[in-house]
Amino acid sequence: MNTFNKLATCALMMLVLAASAFAQAPGPETTLANLTEGQGTIANSGNPQWDGFSELVLIPGASLMGASSSSTALYITFTGGTEADIGNMVLYSTLRGNDAVIKATKVTLGGLSDPSINLTSTSVCPNGAPTVTVPCTIRLDTVKAALTTLDDYYFVIYFTLDTNNEKIVGAGQSVEPGALSGFYLYGDQTRIGAKGAIATNENTDQPAFFLTYVANE
Amino acid sequence: MKTIYKLATLTLMMLAASLYGFSQKPPKASGPENLERGVIGPVTSNGSWSGYSTLALIPGAGLIPVTNTNTVLYIGFTAGTEADITNMVLYTTPRGSSTISTVTPITLGGISNPSIDLASATVCPIVEISAVNPCIVRLDPVKLTLSALSDYYFVVYFTANDSNNGALGLTAPSFGQSSLRGSYISGNETTLGVGGSIPSSLSFSAQPYNLMYVMND
Repeated sequence: MNTFNKLATCALMMLVLAASAFAQAPGPETTLANLTEGQGTIANSGNPQWDGFSELVLIPGASLMGASSSSTALYITFTGGTEADIGNMVLYSTLRGNDAVIKATKVTLGGLSDPSINLTSTSVCPNGAPTVTVPCTIRLDTVKAALTTLDDYYFVIYFTLDTNNEKIVGAGQSVEPGALSGFYLYGDQTRIGAKGAIATNENTDQPAFFLTYVANE
Repeated sequence: MKTIYKLATLTLMMLAASLYGFSQKPPKASGPENLERGVIGPVTSNGSWSGYSTLALIPGAGLIPVTNTNTVLYIGFTAGTEADITNMVLYTTPRGSSTISTVTPITLGGISNPSIDLASATVCPIVEISAVNPCIVRLDPVKLTLSALSDYYFVVYFTANDSNNGALGLTAPSFGQSSLRGSYISGNETTLGVGGSIPSSLSFSAQPYNLMYVMND
């Protein structure tokens, strides 16, 4: 009888556990949501030769659209080139409307902040080497940080001074830039520390060349 | 029997843990949320406002679907030591119409005719204010849920014949990506009543002076 009780109790408990698991409504799925309005069209005009240049893209806190996010995914788009050699990537935080850096967050791809991206690989660009009609959009590693409306953010990507980067082309001069605006400067702009200042944007509200979307995943 | 109790306890704990896990809700966006895409990027300064009203259009068509019971307006200053305001109101009109259906008083510190001490570090943390370091003042929350079926006009009248307002500088956006629009006119436009009209001479094709953000907190 003792053994029977043990087995019966065990079976009952397993049944309860299984029933409970099956009875659960499906957990809340994370839905892809834009955190700010990304670029509506992809173009490729106006690109400089990117070797040795940094692009700085403003993600304004004033444009955030209220989607829940504890993480941020940045997407960059190429419309030309075979390999992009990135020297470094960073996401700066400033107070809203201010240019003083309060925080610098490392941005990575495959765990590296200085990746070389093979744009001819179909595992990276499913349609092969990118063109303006078949652009290649790459999702960088998710940044474990929630964006706040009270701050502005600058995503900065520095392209190494090499021949591969002479040929890469971003998505630029779109007529529908969304809320993103970018400018570029020669040299590595990814090493600004806290209390340093973002360089002045003299290109006003030009569309970003590489950063195309900012989403929650 | 002791073993049975141990197994039962363990099973119940696992059950409780799994129930707790499934009951979690996705995280909400942290902090105040934008109700409208606000002013983006650097601002410039526009001066000498004695005897003028600024009118900022908050279009219902630009509302971000964020639940709000409160509406909070933020205004920006770039020069001066004191802003002397005679009155502030928020007009509601049907979407696309200039006929006023509701007039809501707007206040700062409980009064609709405040004098704002822009030289005070408690008001403007970065003294002295400039276009690079604008002073952004949060007005009192309004118990108002903005509707996509209405448009809203935020109007501030700066006291006439007032030397403080003569030296006053308001934020003027550089970038054109905000949903907010604005204009200005000589005289006090804060005394219009229900059934009155927003002045037809104003085009609202430009970015707003003064109003920077419309948020839920």
